[in-house]
Amino acid sequence: MNSLWLLTQKNLKVLLRAKGSALVVILAPLLIILILGFIYNNSDQYGIKVGIYSSSSNGEVEAFVNLLEEDNFIIQSYPPSPAGIDSCIKDIKSGLVHTCIDLPESLNLEGNSPAEVTFHVDPTRINLVWMIQETVGSKFNLKSQQISQELAQGIIDVLSETKDQINEKKSLLETIKQHSSAASSSTASIKESLSNLDLSSPAVSYANDPTAKINSAITESLESITEAQQKLENLTGSDKDEVTTLLGRAEDDLQAASKFVSGNASGSLDSFLIQLKMGLDQAVIKLKTTSEVVSSANSNFDSLTGTLSDSVAAMNDLDNSLNEIISQLESVQTTDAKTISSPLSIRINKVSEESTYLNYLFPALLILVVMFSSLMLGTTLVMMEKNSIAFLRNFFLPLRKISFIASIYLTNLILIVIEIVIILLISLFFLPGNLSQFPALALVLFLASSIFTFLGMGLGYLFTSEETGSLASISLGSIFLFLSGLILPLEGMSGPVRQFLMFNPFIIAENLVREIFLFNTPLGDLWIDILLLAGYSLVLFLIILVAESVLHKNLVKRFRKHYHHKHHETKKTV
Amino acid sequence: MEFIKLKQVSKEYSRKKVLEDVNLVIEEGDILGVVGESGSGKTTLLSLIAGFIEPTEGEVTYFSRIHQQERNLNRNIHQVKKHIGFTPQHNSFYPKLTVKENLLHFGRLYGLKDKTLLDNITGLLSLVRLMEHQNKLAGHLSGGMQKRLDISCSLIHKPKILVLDEPTADLDPLLRKDILNLLQEANKQGITIVLASHDLENVEDICNKVAFVHQGKVHTQGLIDEIKKPFQSDSFTISVRGKEKERIYRYLKSTNNPQIIDLGDSLVVYPDNIQQTISGLLKIIDQERLNLHDLNFRNVPLKNIFEKITGRN
Repeated sequence: MNSLWLLTQKNLKVLLRAKGSALVVILAPLLIILILGFIYNNSDQYGIKVGIYSSSSNGEVEAFVNLLEEDNFIIQSYPPSPAGIDSCIKDIKSGLVHTCIDLPESLNLEGNSPAEVTFHVDPTRINLVWMIQETVGSKFNLKSQQISQELAQGIIDVLSETKDQINEKKSLLETIKQHSSAASSSTASIKESLSNLDLSSPAVSYANDPTAKINSAITESLESITEAQQKLENLTGSDKDEVTTLLGRAEDDLQAASKFVSGNASGSLDSFLIQLKMGLDQAVIKLKTTSEVVSSANSNFDSLTGTLSDSVAAMNDLDNSLNEIISQLESVQTTDAKTISSPLSIRINKVSEESTYLNYLFPALLILVVMFSSLMLGTTLVMMEKNSIAFLRNFFLPLRKISFIASIYLTNLILIVIEIVIILLISLFFLPGNLSQFPALALVLFLASSIFTFLGMGLGYLFTSEETGSLASISLGSIFLFLSGLILPLEGMSGPVRQFLMFNPFIIAENLVREIFLFNTPLGDLWIDILLLAGYSLVLFLIILVAESVLHKNLVKRFRKHYHHKHHETKKTV
Repeated sequence: MEFIKLKQVSKEYSRKKVLEDVNLVIEEGDILGVVGESGSGKTTLLSLIAGFIEPTEGEVTYFSRIHQQERNLNRNIHQVKKHIGFTPQHNSFYPKLTVKENLLHFGRLYGLKDKTLLDNITGLLSLVRLMEHQNKLAGHLSGGMQKRLDISCSLIHKPKILVLDEPTADLDPLLRKDILNLLQEANKQGITIVLASHDLENVEDICNKVAFVHQGKVHTQGLIDEIKKPFQSDSFTISVRGKEKERIYRYLKSTNNPQIIDLGDSLVVYPDNIQQTISGLLKIIDQERLNLHDLNFRNVPLKNIFEKITGRN
């Protein structure tokens, strides 16, 4: 246990006495945290530049823009012409704006279709896309909620108005009800009166209708007479008898008819007429009563007519009111529950048409590989040379410092070129059809590689041990990576810091690769960034030259120290 | 011919004087040994001679054959570098390259044409006896071979002056001898050699000149023989045996009672007046017909001279 502690103590001492190591191991993480903490210590600002395009400029658009501006979104408005949205999309590709919001002519809904808002985003900036969706989308949700509330409020207002109208017209129904009740009782009364009418026919029997009998007898008499007449024409002896008989018979019949007409016997015409008279009398009485009832009913009907008229009037009024309510309800155009709950629909439109995430990530991956390879290689190569036992001899070579620096740079570049060629060849397998962009890509990668190589070399000259140098280069690469927006969006930082970080060579190189690789932007449009990278390379090269001169002084010191240390050890041994 | 001159040169590191008012002349064909204790300023002196550092005060000059005049070495270091070979104490080559690759690498960087370079390599490999090992990785060579390769790397461009810092340190006596022979060979080929060492025997063996550096100052410099002269006259060694030795011992004691060290077959004598003592002694030998085997003025080791000069005992 003791030995373990002793060894640990030794390790700590060795580590802390190597100033460079101590600095990197202890201070670098603190510094990174400090820098990142300082940069991301920002809660209320968004650096998202939002391009707003609407085919018509109106108050709603302005209200929405104001809503976005409240949260410090940077708004860039585009003219309401077809070229406006194209210009906005172009600016996304150039990185001048982060998203374009294509607003509909009006945010007020007409009908059941939700208003469609299109977000144009650069899918290569995946984290930014999410952030935009999160932040700008939340503003839209707010607006959507607002519209939804307005729609619901409209419906509620209409319903409230309808309710008032119904309350107001409710008395009409009461009136109609009373009138109907009165009409009902009048009808009942009429019904009762009518139902009490005796309209039964008098009990006159018409079964023994004498008329028929008379008629029959007379007919028969006539027939007999007729027949007798005929016989008389062809009269023979026998016939005479026969005529006599027949005539006698006619006589009988006629007598019978006579009896029937004048007799008192039941079924005689006379009794029949008496009965008939009595029946008629009864009928007259009944008709009289009926007349009275009808008269009464008539007056009831008059009253009923009045009541029904009133009812009709009330019902007309009610009908009007209902029509009014219906038209009010019909004035609510948005009735689809889905549209009311989500009146704005958001559509995300990717400005790049690539199909896989590899396309989007490729620029960042490429620069990432170039950055770390160059930084590490630059540091390692300088360290190798610096810590090589042959380093001192190099001083006595008749070469200028620049030759050594250039040789390290060239070595690094060759290795990086091999690496890049391999990556690009592999990328051709996954992303075919990008071969034509390789020359432009090569230029950008050459410049990026130069910058990171010089930085790596600078670290190599700065630090003494290879481990510390490597750690420093990884730390520096991590800082570049952290401050590139690849992991955490830069838009979460405060404005000045963000502006400053736009000069991060990683960001510049990544943007250039994206522009070339994904958007096929010609090099002529990217010359500022390319010049900036070239400028960085040049400045860093000059810094390296100075660093090398400083190193030479340091080298003399090291040489002396090393010599005396060795010498001292030798003497001790002797 | 004066080749490199240090004129009143001083060097400070962090306001601490490491060398002070040094005047030193290196002539063509010299083998100059810079002798001093650890921390005395030897390495700084070598670094100044090689142009590795610039003096704080004074001037280091070299004689330019082209200009036929002395020129400041530091101001013209780029031209001078072609004529300087430097071998630091530790090996200074690429262990991952073969012997030949190392020589080719440094030779080409010195701008040698391929033919000249290959000739130089062949000559050097046979000189340092590494011909058979030319395709071996330098890191795989033995310590002595590595030192020889290191010196070869310094000689590849045939410099006019070869500066070596402790070339025999950490080497066993046989290897030491080997390296010293190599340096003598190089010197015979016309290369001026400056070497720093704390091994005075080695310096005495191969150097014709020596410079004693002590506490940042060059106390003595010049031809070793010249430096030794004043020290050689204070003692002598006489080889005699048996009774004759006793007679001579008694005679010497009868004079001014000098310090006598009996080494068995010989006596080392430190008289007060060496001339008087020797003439008296020769008289006795002649008169008494004594058998004298050898009479030597003692070869005073450089180490003793250095200690006397620097006040160390």
